[in-house]
Amino acid sequence: MGRAASCGAAFPHFGPAPVPRSNFVYRSVWQWPLLIWQGLFFIGPLLLMVAMTFWLVRNYRMEPDFVFDNWERMLTRGFFWDAYFVTLGRAALAATLASLIAFPASFALAFRASETVRRWAIFFLIVPFFTSYLVRIYAWQVLLAESGPLNGLLGYVGLGPFTMLNSGFGAMVGYMTLVLPLVVILQTFSLAAVDRNLIEAARNLGANPRATLFRVIVPAAKIGLIIGFVFAFILTFGDFVSPAYLGGSNPPTLSILIVDTTKSGQQWPRASVVALMMIVTLFIVAFAAVAAAYRRKE
Amino acid sequence: MTAADPLVDFSGVKKNYGTFEAVKTLDLTIGRGEFVAIMGPSGCGKTTTLRMLAGLENPTAGTIRIDGQVMNDVPVHERDTPLVWQSLALFPFLNVVENVEFGLKMRGVEAKERRDRAMLWLDRMGLKGFETRPVDALSGGQRQRVALARSLVTEPQMLLLDEPLSALDAHLVIRMQGVLTKLQKELGITFVYVTHSQSEAFAMADRVVIMGQGEIAQIGTPQEIFRAPNNRFVAEFVGRNNILEGTVSGGIITIDGAEYPLPGAADGPAEIVVAADRMEIHATVSDAAAIPAEFVSEEFAGTGIICYFEGPDGEELKAQVNETQLAALAPEPGQTFWLSWLPDAAHVMAG
Amino acid sequence: MGRSLSWVYVAALFAFVFAPILTSMVFSFNSDRFPTVPLGEFTTHWYETAFSRPEVWTAFRNSLVVAASAAALSTFIGFATAYTDFRFGFRFKSAYLALALLPPTIPLVIMGLAMLAWLSQLGLSGTIQGIIIAHTVMGAPFAMAICRLRLQQMDPSLEAAARNLGASPWRAMRTVVIPFCMPAIISAYCLTAAVSFDEFMVAWFVSGLHRTVPVIILEILQGNVDPQINAIGTVVFLTSMTLVIVSQLLILRKSAK
Repeated sequence: MGRAASCGAAFPHFGPAPVPRSNFVYRSVWQWPLLIWQGLFFIGPLLLMVAMTFWLVRNYRMEPDFVFDNWERMLTRGFFWDAYFVTLGRAALAATLASLIAFPASFALAFRASETVRRWAIFFLIVPFFTSYLVRIYAWQVLLAESGPLNGLLGYVGLGPFTMLNSGFGAMVGYMTLVLPLVVILQTFSLAAVDRNLIEAARNLGANPRATLFRVIVPAAKIGLIIGFVFAFILTFGDFVSPAYLGGSNPPTLSILIVDTTKSGQQWPRASVVALMMIVTLFIVAFAAVAAAYRRKE
Repeated sequence: MTAADPLVDFSGVKKNYGTFEAVKTLDLTIGRGEFVAIMGPSGCGKTTTLRMLAGLENPTAGTIRIDGQVMNDVPVHERDTPLVWQSLALFPFLNVVENVEFGLKMRGVEAKERRDRAMLWLDRMGLKGFETRPVDALSGGQRQRVALARSLVTEPQMLLLDEPLSALDAHLVIRMQGVLTKLQKELGITFVYVTHSQSEAFAMADRVVIMGQGEIAQIGTPQEIFRAPNNRFVAEFVGRNNILEGTVSGGIITIDGAEYPLPGAADGPAEIVVAADRMEIHATVSDAAAIPAEFVSEEFAGTGIICYFEGPDGEELKAQVNETQLAALAPEPGQTFWLSWLPDAAHVMAG
Repeated sequence: MGRSLSWVYVAALFAFVFAPILTSMVFSFNSDRFPTVPLGEFTTHWYETAFSRPEVWTAFRNSLVVAASAAALSTFIGFATAYTDFRFGFRFKSAYLALALLPPTIPLVIMGLAMLAWLSQLGLSGTIQGIIIAHTVMGAPFAMAICRLRLQQMDPSLEAAARNLGASPWRAMRTVVIPFCMPAIISAYCLTAAVSFDEFMVAWFVSGLHRTVPVIILEILQGNVDPQINAIGTVVFLTSMTLVIVSQLLILRKSAK
């Protein structure tokens, strides 16, 4: 919300000028499509999901009601909290790893690459967004298999075979596939935008390269670095494919729980409880991160 | 060029960017405790010269010495050459006192001492009470003083300034000029001040270095540069000068057929400079030689009024008057006047 | 980190990002069902198997219909929203913009569940229309962002000038704003189409029998290792990239004018 609102504030517009009656129709034509469509098909479904958490399922049919059975049923069970903390922990780990892995590459692209090289690198990092994530995960399934090409190559140097699929490692490879390009892009943009004068000023005031990096470049690029971390967190927190097809669904994550509860159990209300818990968690993380990013030194 | 007690010495310094020669063979000595302004139009190599001194650029050839030590291979952060940036380059993520402390922190000064020293400087710069403010909450003049405090807190033997006043309002510029000259006198350290503004350079510097196209065009006191420009480039850059061409023979220069005394000048073709404020305007022909010129327009400058004329060959001529004189002349565009000068007002250029 | 070492690092990172994309293309022509090193023989067998299945063709048709329709709707809503933000000020504008930009932050699996429940209430679950509706919700924010960036470059007085010269607001829109935004509109259309063409999660929840290509891939993936995925994936990749490249070329040509 904060992000969206600040985006809006950054855009100049004609002030709230008095609108003559004849222009009311004109304005409404542009203003209302979003309200109608997103109201009907975005807010509507989310509100229904909230309502559904209080509904009951009898004989495989949902009935509107106002009971707390679903909440009680999910939140008092160990398996829910196990899945919750597994998901939270993995998303935090994935976002941290992605930020750390991306940083040296983003640094090189931002400070050591020419404008042309940087533009091409960004272009190539956008390409993965237009390849099927499923196909890429399938490719990892093949590459990481017990008898797959990677273990084959390692075999030539006398290593392995390693079990890489259906493990936390496998899921992490999938998460990196999902988020690394985006994190590198966001970090590169924020690092490239750091005022070069600040870096020169730091060196001029006696900062060695290491101090320049940690005391000036990182703080100056902080907002972009945090945004990269948050996007990585949001994407991995909600991802179903990597934990299911590379992580082996064991332990299950919240998204796997939702899919299983919805698809096999027809227990939409209980799945909605999980979904709401996820949304609340994401909002807390996003707000905390935005607050950290824009925290002022007083 | 040499200074009495040299601190900085450029000898044979060149800087090329690809095939572009930003600085061509620079020889310059800057004395201890001297206020030197390097002035020139944009692209003349003045900022490159300053950046080479700070170690932010490596010279292509030549050596730079500070205190006799060759600096070419000393990395930026190991030099003691703090710079005040045109953009000030204050760290936006640090507050005022943390900005000032930065250099001390990098030198490993312990927390208590560096806070004390930073507070001392904030006090000295009239910024007491602002120490925990974010830097972007300060006014332009305050930010300027934070930048100065940040550079001076480590007690360097010289301060480099890269057009530090160019972003300020006119009235603040005058005030900051006072602050800077006072500070330089009190500290007794070397200031190297890069600017394109003649008024800043002339108001503050002990010596002015004029650069053009990567070379030094003239070095001298403000007075010397203004009254006795070495060459056409300097005369034109300084402005408010009349450049006249003629031929000298036996202490007399002939310009457009008229003869003017020019005692002590060598025979042959010569260019002379007459400053606008030494040019006299006559409404009628007098006995002395004078250049007939058509009045074009007048311009109010800070110190007087510059009248513009067109000479016999279409050249632009300038003469400075005050308001009383202007009222007495009451010039109309197209009206012809006669311009003359006293012999000692003419300066013969070398180049 | 040394200069050359840091480029080795960048290369390794790109290798990781592109490894799955390239191997899926290579394996789509590799005869082994369970590929390893050294590779098997060259074959087009997986393409033949995949595209001999009528449901794959149906899925491609469904995907194209969904992508084309959802992209059109997303682009219209996105442009209208971007223009509203650019042109009008009103109360609750930040809430309006939050609504415009929020959908991408909701995890797909949650969007899928919420959409499934809502569309079931409306009797639209399991229909092509249902997928189109869902993909429009997800695509509109991207279209809005692209159009908004373009409007940012437009001098606001252009429209005022047209009005000042006697054009009605509609006429000014048609003769000034839309022509100026055309590259962004085309680009938004292609990109939202590509997003829809690749989207599997929400489509999986709401598609029922009307499966799209990514849903077919997901279902194959749930079964055994099957290199048909590589073949279909390669075709999907080429389709998406064509859309992206076409949109970029159009923008370049337009802006070169």
